[in-house]
Amino acid sequence: MSMPAIRTDHLTKRYGRLYALDSLDLSVEPAEVFGFLGPNGAGKSTTIRLLLGLAQATSGSAHIFGVPATDVRSAHRRLAYVPADVALWPHLTGAEILELLARTGPGTDRGYQDELVARFDLDLRKPAGTYSTGNRQKVALVAAFATRAPLLILDEPTSGLDPLMERVFRTAVLEARERGQTVFLSSHQLAEVEAVCDRVAILRAGRLAEIAAVADLRRLHRTEIEVGFTGPAPELHAVGGVEDIESTGPGRLRLSLTGPPAPVLRALAAAEVTTLAVREPSLEEIFLAYYGQASR
Amino acid sequence: MTALDAAPAPVAPSTAGAPGRAVTRLTVRQVRRGALAVGVLAAGMSALVAATHAEVVASPEQAASLASLATNPAIRTLFGEPGDLGDPGGFTVWRTGIFLSVLLGAWCLLAATRITRGEEESGRTELLLAGLVTPRHLLARQLTILSLAAAATGAAVSVALSAAGTDRPGALVHGAGLGLTGVFFAATGLLAAQIFPARSAATGSATAVLAAGLMVRMIGDGVAALGWLRWLTPFGLTGLTRPYDTNRWLPLMVLAAMTAAVLAAAVAANRRDVRGGWLAPRAGRAPRTTLLGSAPAFALRRMLRPLSGWAAGIAAYYLLIGLIAASMISFLADNPELADLAGQAGFGSLGAVEGYAATLFALLAMPASGFATTRLTAFFADENSGRLTLLCAAPRTRQKLAGIEVATAAAGTLVLALVAALATWAGTTISGAPLSLTAAVAGALNVLPIAALGLGASALALGVAPRAIGWFGALPVVGGFLLLVIADSVRAPVWVTGLSPYAHIALVPLESPDWVAAAVMTSIAACAGAAGLAAYARRDLRL
Repeated sequence: MSMPAIRTDHLTKRYGRLYALDSLDLSVEPAEVFGFLGPNGAGKSTTIRLLLGLAQATSGSAHIFGVPATDVRSAHRRLAYVPADVALWPHLTGAEILELLARTGPGTDRGYQDELVARFDLDLRKPAGTYSTGNRQKVALVAAFATRAPLLILDEPTSGLDPLMERVFRTAVLEARERGQTVFLSSHQLAEVEAVCDRVAILRAGRLAEIAAVADLRRLHRTEIEVGFTGPAPELHAVGGVEDIESTGPGRLRLSLTGPPAPVLRALAAAEVTTLAVREPSLEEIFLAYYGQASR
Repeated sequence: MTALDAAPAPVAPSTAGAPGRAVTRLTVRQVRRGALAVGVLAAGMSALVAATHAEVVASPEQAASLASLATNPAIRTLFGEPGDLGDPGGFTVWRTGIFLSVLLGAWCLLAATRITRGEEESGRTELLLAGLVTPRHLLARQLTILSLAAAATGAAVSVALSAAGTDRPGALVHGAGLGLTGVFFAATGLLAAQIFPARSAATGSATAVLAAGLMVRMIGDGVAALGWLRWLTPFGLTGLTRPYDTNRWLPLMVLAAMTAAVLAAAVAANRRDVRGGWLAPRAGRAPRTTLLGSAPAFALRRMLRPLSGWAAGIAAYYLLIGLIAASMISFLADNPELADLAGQAGFGSLGAVEGYAATLFALLAMPASGFATTRLTAFFADENSGRLTLLCAAPRTRQKLAGIEVATAAAGTLVLALVAALATWAGTTISGAPLSLTAAVAGALNVLPIAALGLGASALALGVAPRAIGWFGALPVVGGFLLLVIADSVRAPVWVTGLSPYAHIALVPLESPDWVAAAVMTSIAACAGAAGLAAYARRDLRL
């Protein structure tokens, strides 16, 4: 069994009486792309700050490849980081900042860095003070992806990028995974998470609400099924996992299903099904279901 | 279906709300604490010096001796042209006038660039301007409140001096001059904030105006033939009003006109893009990669520009101190009875160039430590704005990162001391009262333990109360200086005086250094610094 890239045990952070993070248990395997989701204020950035040792945990612990996160000298040799809100020294140009980060960081592949600069279409001659939010993010992304650190911690890295650059970003994430790097991606861009992540964790009010592979997550959630039939109306009320049965016309039904579809299919067998549409929920719908629960 | 067909009524902009009042309240909140501190200090110091005048100048003979000391070109250069020193008001103006006008002017310009360009740089101004407030309106409110703060300080000094029993017209002229000086530098800060798109550049250039104004005043006061120069600077103009003497209003009118001109320029320069300025940075340049290779190198790179500014100011001041040394010393040699009196008035041991240099080197502790404090304040600003986060994600402990910054600041302080020593040496050599280079270096280095206390206190604040770095750093250095001055004035018990670090340094190069005191102070500074760094490593990064 290999050492997890990130492991947290009962990781807790309290600000006064407020629990920003409440006993988080998480394990991220090497070379996986791990999505970290949650509404604003759920504790995502707090978790990342604890992983980086930028804040001290109230209780519990976090390890980066087996090294305590508080031992930053050792732990930070194994990671690179892109903050949610990238702030740069306004007088330094992009090139100077990349130079600084490369020479003070955990080691950089200069050739790959040049390639990334070209791909992200970054003008390195400008002072950082003149950069837009997206350009500042690009500087931090190039610096992080160009490191050979085995773990990349990315906190909402694409919030300022345009759709073209977001594609470049997704490619870079997949390339990192191919190289064997682990990517911990906190994001609100659910399509992006769906596209690149192997597993996701959903955080709600400082607690872990769900952690699963993206495909499993779908299975755990309500699938929408539309049926057209010519035979007798199927009796579905007694079938486990079925809810919200709705007649949408003569010989048409819509229902939602949680859990495996076998019992429903058996019940439908006698109804002479003519059309069957199964729509799995998007990550967005799953996520909104959690949002909804949080706000109610 | 009529309900659906009817177009929704257009949203009418609300006419309720009072954007002006909200902006006023915001601005007041931004400046009230500093304004109160400056006002209380100015009024308190003025009242105290006026009230203790009778003790310092007990007899008419003493008053006469003091007057002849004060008319010496060297003393005139430092303290301005004296008024009637037999009068408690005139004496107070002479002792505190320049110091208070520099203090108030500096606070006004720092506050002005902070609440204008600083807020704009951080993006908060855009939030305000997206509402009903226009840039011109915002500037007008900021200008008004800063001016009122400066005027209130002037008024507080007038009231304090009147309450201490001095003549009312003199108190009024002095207070008015002080208040106008504050408004002038607030306007200078506001103008600089319109011109430069970065807060640091705006603050730097406005500070350069203040320093130049002070230099011009010194030359005008020190060299009789160039006395007209004083009409060009607020510090000279306030001197020309001669409070408690002739109480002239003309220089005040000139100062008011100058201030109005700068204010008008600031308002005119306000026609620009938000976040823009009249001196925009170049759009692009080739990378300069020196001093980017490591954290210490980068700390040095960030320090070099401010260090050269501070070094230039300190060099100019100590060069002047050196240049007037010969005149001072020969004057005191011709008037031996004054030496004793000079001691009572707070200038001990001015008879030989070594004593003269030692006395004036004590003042060096303030800018040297002030520089170190600004470095740690800038470090915290980097942390608070998130610039430090990327460096903190590198394989290096935060304690080390902060330690590097403290060490770099200490090195900068050392450089400033050496610059002061060199400038003094050069000045004294040119003026013909030669102080050896070793003596000058020894004298300048001798005050470093006090500066170290300021740096240690600042480092402690970085760990435990980072928003109060300035106050922590000023406590031993500026607080200690004021304590000594006040304790001397009111003849406080020895233990009170002993709380000031200045009471424990020897008058090097006149005397040999007090190694024990220096070691004790340095150890206290090191302990405070170590405690601060340990606390810094344990606390959360403040973003």
